[in-house]
Amino acid sequence: MDLRFSQSEQEFRHGLRSWLAETIPTLPPRPHRDDWPARRAYDTGWQRGMFDAGYAGVDWPAAHGGLGATPTEQLVFLEETAAARAPYVGANFVGLLHAGPTLVVEGTDAQRARYLPRILRGDDVWCQGFSEPDAGSDLASLRTTAVREGDHYVVNGRKVWTSMAQVADYCELLVRTDPDAPKHRGISWLILPMSTPGVQVRPLRTAGGSSEFSELTLDDVRVPVENLVGAENDGWRVAMVTFSFERGTAFIGEVIDSRNILAEIASIARSTPAPRGGTLWDDAALRRDVGRLTADVHGLWALIRKNVSEAAAGMIPVQGASVFKLRFTESRQKIGDLAAHVLGRSALAMSDLPGLAGGRNGHLVEDRVTTLAYTIAAGTSQIQKNILAERSLGLPKEPRWTSR
Amino acid sequence: MDLTLSADQRALRSGLRDVLAELWSAERLREAAASVAPSRTAPSSKDWRSLAELGVFGVTVPEADDGMGLGLADAAVLFEELGAALVPGPLVPTVLAAGTVAGAVDGDAVVTMLDLRAPVLLVEHLDVATHVVAVDDEGLYLLPSDALGATPVETPLDPLTPLWVVPAGRDVPGLGERIGSAGDAAGWMRSGAVLNSAMQVGVARGGLDLAVRYALERVQFGRVIGGFQAVKHLLAESLVRVELARAAVLVAALTIDDPEVGGVEEAVAAAKVLADEAATLGGRSCVQVHGGMGFSWEVLAHLYLKRAWVLETCFGSADDHAALLARISFGHE
Repeated sequence: MDLRFSQSEQEFRHGLRSWLAETIPTLPPRPHRDDWPARRAYDTGWQRGMFDAGYAGVDWPAAHGGLGATPTEQLVFLEETAAARAPYVGANFVGLLHAGPTLVVEGTDAQRARYLPRILRGDDVWCQGFSEPDAGSDLASLRTTAVREGDHYVVNGRKVWTSMAQVADYCELLVRTDPDAPKHRGISWLILPMSTPGVQVRPLRTAGGSSEFSELTLDDVRVPVENLVGAENDGWRVAMVTFSFERGTAFIGEVIDSRNILAEIASIARSTPAPRGGTLWDDAALRRDVGRLTADVHGLWALIRKNVSEAAAGMIPVQGASVFKLRFTESRQKIGDLAAHVLGRSALAMSDLPGLAGGRNGHLVEDRVTTLAYTIAAGTSQIQKNILAERSLGLPKEPRWTSR
Repeated sequence: MDLTLSADQRALRSGLRDVLAELWSAERLREAAASVAPSRTAPSSKDWRSLAELGVFGVTVPEADDGMGLGLADAAVLFEELGAALVPGPLVPTVLAAGTVAGAVDGDAVVTMLDLRAPVLLVEHLDVATHVVAVDDEGLYLLPSDALGATPVETPLDPLTPLWVVPAGRDVPGLGERIGSAGDAAGWMRSGAVLNSAMQVGVARGGLDLAVRYALERVQFGRVIGGFQAVKHLLAESLVRVELARAAVLVAALTIDDPEVGGVEEAVAAAKVLADEAATLGGRSCVQVHGGMGFSWEVLAHLYLKRAWVLETCFGSADDHAALLARISFGHE
């Protein structure tokens, strides 16, 4: 047991740090959050830069063009990029963290050769077509159908919460190929080119006011059979492979953000006069609240290092990801509330206001709203608690309610 | 970087588990809690020596001084087990004093402590102790246990943690021998906070295990109550707190073992905040899941919560540590 990084891990860190220090200042200004083509160009440009520098696909196996980094090196990568405030994966999220890794494990050689290099280079953007209006937490009850006609599937249905759909090239799509099988057994995983006739994208406005997500309508969409990933009707298992990538280390950078926001809360509190003299930071209760949430950040960071150590030791993390997601998301929402507390009525504007918190309220208020999604997306907190109760504590499984 | 338990640590842990299953079983706990005479609640000197034989007290003492020469992280692994079994006695002060107070490593000397900064001076387990280490901001002082003139508290909150009160105005440092500087006192408080937190993680885990076992046995509405989502979620929340606190405690212990890593004070404060939270909220949930029986003396649930309430007052409260963490991280004013 130790907290030290090896010689080679330190060299990896220093090489990356100096590349980031050179590269970050040369980046163009970040685009407006609702300018999707500009966001795509910005995110894929960043991906291309990482590809050219040899940092693309840090967690992908070297045999498939990735860096083949150890779990500890992946941690170092995410830590350094977050600390340097480098762009996040953004539009490349589904390609790099979902679809690509799924193709590495489940794709054919032809599929890998065709799609993987383009994801790594930032050429293609992927989106996710899993959830449906009536299939959220109960994803296996999805109803979008795919009927085989010769060498094509004809797909009909609706998908929701599809991020980046407006600018995506491909969609990882879950469809029902056997309507008579039990709900988990009749599902298939398809690659849908977004340019296919019959695909309609309607932006879905979020509570944060942005159109991060879309609704897809699929109307007699013809998908070649060669775009099937894994066996027909084996898509639920393939989707579970996809999810196993999602609950890992994706939040590491956000833990560093949590600490940065706490620092900002303290700084605003120190410069905001209190009604009875002094500043808000003189309030011992506020300092304790900040301290407790800082303890959360330390604990979450410790937990990440523990999860990464377990992965590096070849242990299969049973509960680490759910434990992390539950506490991180809850803690992040409390940080949003605390930011609003120090902002007072400046927390009523998502655009920046003049005055003491000037230029600082906007993104904190936006973050408070955005993080509402954290306890919902990628398995709600309630689903995560069921997972922990059943798999880690051995409590009885939920009854299998049939939805079809 | 590695936060997984080594083979040696796992062996150490399972050795202690085996001994505790004999020494400090649920029956023994129940018997001790029922006992009226406080002196019957603590481990006998024979039990104390069994723990010493496993190396519990000398774990961080150099091998040349008959200790095991291991780190605080190894001690933390052991102290989680002691907490989970609700072993009473001044375990943390004894291990902190081992190496300084002769006989502590072997279990011949049993050391309790007195925090002189508290408004009311309370000492735990004075009857089984041979020595007292008193702590203030200036240093550490060693006294024989009979020098305090303390009187027993009639009804301690935790039946397994008997208390004595020291008369106000007593010059405790003057009665003892100064054995440590202000820096040593700060180090005592830091290492103590980590081991105390490791015990809290154990208390939280022990309470959770007890609640899970009960939830799998107790039938209401025709099914075991552990099948109801309201109960499942309560227990899953306890598990999350245990896992978070355990990781924080290990990191704090490793940071003390290897100071070059840096950030010792923050790591220790975070561990204490999270471990106290895990144990106190976990203890409440343990009582709650037991329903009416949770409020009875017969079921062990209340003992986990009461121990958590005892340990949260030791080595600085969670509030103190949270305030410290805010100050170190973001400045005083």
